[in-house]
Amino acid sequence: MEINKMIVKLSAIRTMMKRTAASIVLFSAAVANSTLYTLSSTLLLSCESQAPQTYNLETGNAVYYWRTDLRLDSVERAFLTQYQIKKFYCRYFDVVMSDDGTEPKPNATITFSDTLPDSIEIIPTVYITEDCMHKQYPDLAEKIVSRIIQMNETNDIRNVHEIQIDCDYTSKSRKTYYDFLREVRTQLSTVHCHLSTTIRLHQLSMEAPPVDYGALMIYNTGDPNKWEERNPILDMRDVAPYLKRLDKYPLPLAAAYPVFHWVRDIHGVRVEHTVEAEDILQVKQAMEKERPELRKAIITYHLDQENINRYKPETYEEIYHH
Amino acid sequence: MKRFIIISLMTAMTLPTLACGGGGTDNYYLFSPFVGNNFKSRVEKICNDNWKAYLGLTEEYFWFNADEVIKAAQQKGDALMVSYIQNLQKYLDCVDIEQRKQYEWNYPTKEDIDGQKRTLQAVRTYALGKTKSKLRSQHALLYMRCNMMLGQHQENVTYWEQTASQFIETVYKDMMKNIYAGALYKTGHEAEAGELFAEMDDEESLMTQFYKKRSYLAISQHYKQNPTSKALPWLLKDFVNNAQEAADAANGGGGGSVGKQFIRDINQQESWQMQQFCEMVVREGKTDCPVMWKSAKAWLEFLAGKEKEAAADILDAIKLDGTARMKDNAHVLMLYITAAQAKPGEAFDDYIADELAWLKGKQDEDGFFLDVENRLTSHVLVPHYRSNPVRLTAISRALYSTGSGFDLDTLNVGSTEKFLFYTNTPANNKLDKFLKAQLHENDTTLAELIGTKYMRLCQWDKAIKWLKDIPLSFYNNNFSREYRYYSVLRHYDVEPWMKRQWLNTDEAWEKNVQWWKHIKLDFCKEMQMMEGSLNLLKGKAYDQRCYNLATYYAQASIHGDCWWLLRDSKSCYDNVRVNEVDFDLKARELLQKAAMSSDPALKSKALFAMGYRELYGVVFFGEKNPNVWYDLVWDSEKGESVKKYNLSSPQYRAYQALYELTGDQPQEEYIRKCDEYEQFRKYYRQHR
Repeated sequence: MEINKMIVKLSAIRTMMKRTAASIVLFSAAVANSTLYTLSSTLLLSCESQAPQTYNLETGNAVYYWRTDLRLDSVERAFLTQYQIKKFYCRYFDVVMSDDGTEPKPNATITFSDTLPDSIEIIPTVYITEDCMHKQYPDLAEKIVSRIIQMNETNDIRNVHEIQIDCDYTSKSRKTYYDFLREVRTQLSTVHCHLSTTIRLHQLSMEAPPVDYGALMIYNTGDPNKWEERNPILDMRDVAPYLKRLDKYPLPLAAAYPVFHWVRDIHGVRVEHTVEAEDILQVKQAMEKERPELRKAIITYHLDQENINRYKPETYEEIYHH
Repeated sequence: MKRFIIISLMTAMTLPTLACGGGGTDNYYLFSPFVGNNFKSRVEKICNDNWKAYLGLTEEYFWFNADEVIKAAQQKGDALMVSYIQNLQKYLDCVDIEQRKQYEWNYPTKEDIDGQKRTLQAVRTYALGKTKSKLRSQHALLYMRCNMMLGQHQENVTYWEQTASQFIETVYKDMMKNIYAGALYKTGHEAEAGELFAEMDDEESLMTQFYKKRSYLAISQHYKQNPTSKALPWLLKDFVNNAQEAADAANGGGGGSVGKQFIRDINQQESWQMQQFCEMVVREGKTDCPVMWKSAKAWLEFLAGKEKEAAADILDAIKLDGTARMKDNAHVLMLYITAAQAKPGEAFDDYIADELAWLKGKQDEDGFFLDVENRLTSHVLVPHYRSNPVRLTAISRALYSTGSGFDLDTLNVGSTEKFLFYTNTPANNKLDKFLKAQLHENDTTLAELIGTKYMRLCQWDKAIKWLKDIPLSFYNNNFSREYRYYSVLRHYDVEPWMKRQWLNTDEAWEKNVQWWKHIKLDFCKEMQMMEGSLNLLKGKAYDQRCYNLATYYAQASIHGDCWWLLRDSKSCYDNVRVNEVDFDLKARELLQKAAMSSDPALKSKALFAMGYRELYGVVFFGEKNPNVWYDLVWDSEKGESVKKYNLSSPQYRAYQALYELTGDQPQEEYIRKCDEYEQFRKYYRQHR
């Protein structure tokens, strides 16, 4: 009764546009025996560069790739060439809590149907849901790193020098997340790989994470419930309060700008959020004024034919202007 | 066989991400032109039944276990079955490699994948060699499965067309046909594949194939290519149900995602286009099921708010041709559309009585008709009878509904008494006769509820009248062990601000506590006596009585330890509901009187009691409560929660008065050990 009927009220605040990729159960086969990989000399094949003491974020253009199948059409391939994309932040898999809530599990792993041009560096990116960071799972870092390395080896992906972890950590999960990142870094140091993480604007007020650099997500800045007042994807008024924190943020930062659109149903009304080109550019200008380094490494979220066609080439040229 | 799903087209496809997840739904879809007989479930059941028969089991068989079957086959001397299962298991191990790619930490190595390919080739060769054996269908299926996993789809097309299609009808042949459909899709014969998937009711594969071809435009183009395509009912159903989802969401309903994974938002413009198209299809005369198209039009019109047009079209629809299910579906829609526009009166009562009887009769055929009853009750009948509480109660209790919002527990006590009378008198019209035949009410349950409702209104004499004849066995037989455990071990005369009556819930089940006296009745009698004589008291006796009454009210409140007096269960989110007195407020008012006492000890206790946070309701983080001395609010600049003080709140004022009365170093132990007051004291000392 009293205890049994205790119900958990769902948080009123929902994470906007979770970066969870498609999850379709393809096989109902029993879980295969788990084999933990150890970091061996063979892993050096996939992570080759030597980490400097202070990370030097190179100037260049990049994209996020957030689909479940690495398969590019001609428009997307042309985009990579036209805008001289050097880095390809490719979501490898998500890490989510298992159905029984006992442990983090991989989900929605990418399939490699295509290869990228040799000139482009692929950066395996893993999205971790925030609830995986509510407590420590001692072997999680090793599992993730091992899985990425095995994916690279199995699918003949070379030229990997870095991985990126994406997590919408909060003040509640920050400490666990940073401990986890330290462990990932330790794992990666064996194979001389760099580590980066995404940083949301609200996370700028926290201590910097223990990574080589951060990818500042300059999107999903607004309250989705106040969509009539402000664009929830990007609005200068929501960015403004964070500008003053940029200059002193003690970590190299790449800048990630939104080119996606978001369609949702709000009380029966189809609402489509997109960001006007001039709004993106206005924010870019303001950010770079506070922190000129932000014009070095620029990422767009995310590579997709629809997103490419949404903006004029001049807009992309300005976004990628260094 | 549990893992048969590998044969589905879905194996090689992925779909876009969900917008959201979690939550159930009660806005059941009313457009259902065919009986769902999902391929996966159907085939799985037959396979399990086959294994059950082979193993000679009497209980249902759910999970295929190769070792178990091999052992049974060996005992039977069935060498062919042994080799089949051994190879099937090898195939399933290859399937596991795919599973590992997606969901396991041990992503397969190159060696694993090479080994997988070699195994598949070997199993394929073995299976092909046995396709003339006694287990030819099973081996042929295994052969086609291996081809599919190896990406050799053209071989599967050829094998089916030249060989397997000639096999006798078995579940294995059905599964081969499904693989064949997938192979057609993979080799560019999408239209043929779609027809086969629709014929088999393979919804997952249909959704994969048509995921981006479900708009009005895509459906109309599909129709133009083949006006009698088997995929059209499925596509139309998907479109109309998505339109219902959008309409329900607009009306504040819907929004669930369970089983509605592929919700597509359909706006009014697209719905209108489809309505026009449905009309054109009926007029054109190329379809073999005009009733389906006309029904779809009527339902889309209704969802778009065009109720009169919908009513006219659905009346036309029921005269048109189609399958029996399509005609039943039109009947359902006519019932719903008509009822939603009906004026209250005897004519409608008689009509709905007949229709409900028809609906009940159909429920043995298919669960769809129960869903219809649910939606009809929740969305149409409950609003229709809202002004007649007794009929409303009967409708809500006799018919299945999960979304009506009706709750007998919060119905006002007068209507509850009338409902009890209603259930015990003969019906004098068709609708009541139908409803009473469906009702299975227990008089004692209703009487106990009425007594409790009078308790919630503090009408102790009436509560006593209803509760006095409720036997103890009623509580011991009908209430849970947890309820009885709490009610027997917690006492309502304990001051909750002095002592919390914590209990170990785990013991509730072990101890199986029984009622040995009527605790609720005793409470009512004590309250009746204490309140009845209150105004006869004077001075300290009056003040003390107020304090005692406050204790009883605070305990009986939903926030008190004795919540079981007024409710049969409790949630930490519960607050005061309609048709009940705010017991916390009553307690606070009585404490206010007690705090006026000239007796410093009683005054101190009363002021301290007024600081008891539970008396001010439940407030969660981020919400504000002006009655408590501080709220926790999030400070985004600091990145932490901070206290915001409410200096004019009653709790603040009570603590302030207590401080002024007892000083900075109170002598009373109960004050000194209260951590909340200690926080106040520290704050007040600095800010007074």
